[in-house]
Amino acid sequence: MTALSRRAFLGWLAAAIPASALVRRAHALAVDHLAANPRTLRALGEAVLPSELGSAGTAAAVDRFQRWIAGYREGAELLHGYGTSTLEKAGPTPATRWAAQLARLDAKHFADLPLEQRRTVIRAELAELKVDRIGSVGRAPHVGVALLAHFYASPEATDLCYESKIGKQNCRPLATSSRKPLPVARA
Amino acid sequence: MRAEEQVPRSRSALRSGRHLIEADVCIIGSGISAAMVADRLARTTRMKIVVVEAGDEAPTLASRYALRDRYLQYGESPWPNDHLDGYEIDGPLQSRSMQVGGLAMHWGGVTPRWSPEDFKTKSLFGVGTDWPISYDDLDPFYQEAEELIGVAGEQGPAAMDPRSKPFPMAPLPLTYNLGLLKEWTSSAGITMWSQPSSKNSRPYDGRAECCRNDTCTPICPIGAKYSPDFTWQKLRATNRITLYPRTLVRRLVRDAVTQRITSAEAVQRGRGAGTPVTFRAKQFVVAAGYVWSAHLLLLSGVANRSGTVGKYLAGHRNQQAFIELPLKLYPGINGQHSLVTKQFMRTPPDARYLRHDLRVWESSYDRGPRLRDNASTIMLGDDILRDWRERTQTGVARVRAYYDVLPDRESALTLDTSRRNAWGDPLPRLAFKDAPESAALRSYSDDALKALFDRMARAGGGKVIRNEEDDGGFLDHPAGGCRMGSDTSSSVVDGWGRTHDHENLFVVGAPTCVSASCANATLTFCALALRSAVEIARG
Repeated sequence: MTALSRRAFLGWLAAAIPASALVRRAHALAVDHLAANPRTLRALGEAVLPSELGSAGTAAAVDRFQRWIAGYREGAELLHGYGTSTLEKAGPTPATRWAAQLARLDAKHFADLPLEQRRTVIRAELAELKVDRIGSVGRAPHVGVALLAHFYASPEATDLCYESKIGKQNCRPLATSSRKPLPVARA
Repeated sequence: MRAEEQVPRSRSALRSGRHLIEADVCIIGSGISAAMVADRLARTTRMKIVVVEAGDEAPTLASRYALRDRYLQYGESPWPNDHLDGYEIDGPLQSRSMQVGGLAMHWGGVTPRWSPEDFKTKSLFGVGTDWPISYDDLDPFYQEAEELIGVAGEQGPAAMDPRSKPFPMAPLPLTYNLGLLKEWTSSAGITMWSQPSSKNSRPYDGRAECCRNDTCTPICPIGAKYSPDFTWQKLRATNRITLYPRTLVRRLVRDAVTQRITSAEAVQRGRGAGTPVTFRAKQFVVAAGYVWSAHLLLLSGVANRSGTVGKYLAGHRNQQAFIELPLKLYPGINGQHSLVTKQFMRTPPDARYLRHDLRVWESSYDRGPRLRDNASTIMLGDDILRDWRERTQTGVARVRAYYDVLPDRESALTLDTSRRNAWGDPLPRLAFKDAPESAALRSYSDDALKALFDRMARAGGGKVIRNEEDDGGFLDHPAGGCRMGSDTSSSVVDGWGRTHDHENLFVVGAPTCVSASCANATLTFCALALRSAVEIARG
């Protein structure tokens, strides 16, 4: 699919109505838009993610986040609650909201700003949205918080925090789990 | 469509145009209790066995890594479509799950035995109701269940944790974190050990060794945790059973003279109203869990001369705390495994009635990354990581006690005529209620457990940072609804699970429990079901 211009994309979003087929199309368009315009999202990653990741690690974290967005399935059945007969489904795609936020950042030439100025911009947007916590990815009200939520939920982030090879949610030999996790070698 | 999903017609059924299935034993439900009964009957008899399940087939083992990934990434159910539509009910249902394998497709695999005291609280403590069977009656069936599903366990002190034979598998080793936490609990005067679990500490029965990837609940992607689908695969592969999924039993029909159950009238779900199916058998076994077993009996108007079908729903309440400790823990090694003790299963003679288990886990409560610091300033970049590292220099333990709640007669499942399924049958309504003696003890129990947690925290030089308790009207590991007893006026089944009213109708597993102890219950449901199978095999 040909990438839309920012103006065309925002125009399309404004015209979109929440009929299921159109929502699916809006999701696909937003995903394509993000893929075609990665510069702002990468600049956002440099601003919100820890510098210890390095440029390659940051780029990888942003790529994984983009894949997450692309894989989102609106209306998917979520894990049942315990003690209730109520079923839950995945909410509307956050991709359109986040793509619009990135488009607005792009309009401010966000990627060209020095790092600290980028953070100032993000802090102001989060303060305006009254965001208090990192929370879950899909419900993040701002794309910057979504990127944080996605990264910090990962096994890599846990290992980075503890500076140890914990390997959360990864398979491991049963016997090794009794040992203290090995420290992560630092460059 | 799989071959098993086609409802075959007998010669007589073909002549009459009806779908008719005939067997020696008809098992209704395909959860873990049903699997135990079917397995034992298949091993010890030549009976023709049919199993009827309302839900769909469970996803194959090969598909579970992909399903797990969707769960981890997006919170999606790894058991999609494991329910019947239109079954939103009034009351705290444990789970909507209804599929081949039942709730045990996504259980935690935690398998303590109950304690001998659980079966005679009236005799020992003057409260509740004694069961018609004892722990000793159940001991060989506990062992059989442990061997069938594969339990890795550590023998606790014999006085607290009696058993006549060793566990079939060595215990799951304590993680590094649990090793540190065990030293802490020991300093608090509490003897704890590795929680017995139906997770393989070595390759077992054709299934893999546990690799601690820590999604036991809701999905083990490698089959190291037992789930009933493994039993069904084995029994189907050897043609020892025929399993009919997507087939909802709506009524049991009795002979007005003999009172024997003559058929189970079902509908195979499909387009529209589905296809009516009649199951005829010499014996019927209702193995549909604490809700759907009593629900079926009430819909059918059978087994209820005592008026207690659906009554005495039981479960246990929990009280838990998060304790900050001056320990460097590394949460994420295997957060679902725990320490356990049975030290508090006996009420001292001079104390008020309170019996509870106690478990301890690693936790990351209040130790996750955060967006705002203590001054509420938004952090970005390195600040978040620095803050996270500072706050994880000390560890957090989760401690939880299930305590025994004695069920009231009106802790009940009833038929809700205001809500009906697609076939017009009333749905169940659930309402748990403590017996008066438990209601009177509730604040004492909660306070005593909070005091225990405080004492534990102090022993480790730490502090309780959060207390939590059940407050939604739901009691955990629910059971009852068709309780067993010797008195036919106050129970539904005898000690074998045979209904008092119908000689060829059994109810097995969870519904037959008189009370629900204060520990995870599935292994006990399995043992009870295996014991029932002995009597069913006698014909």
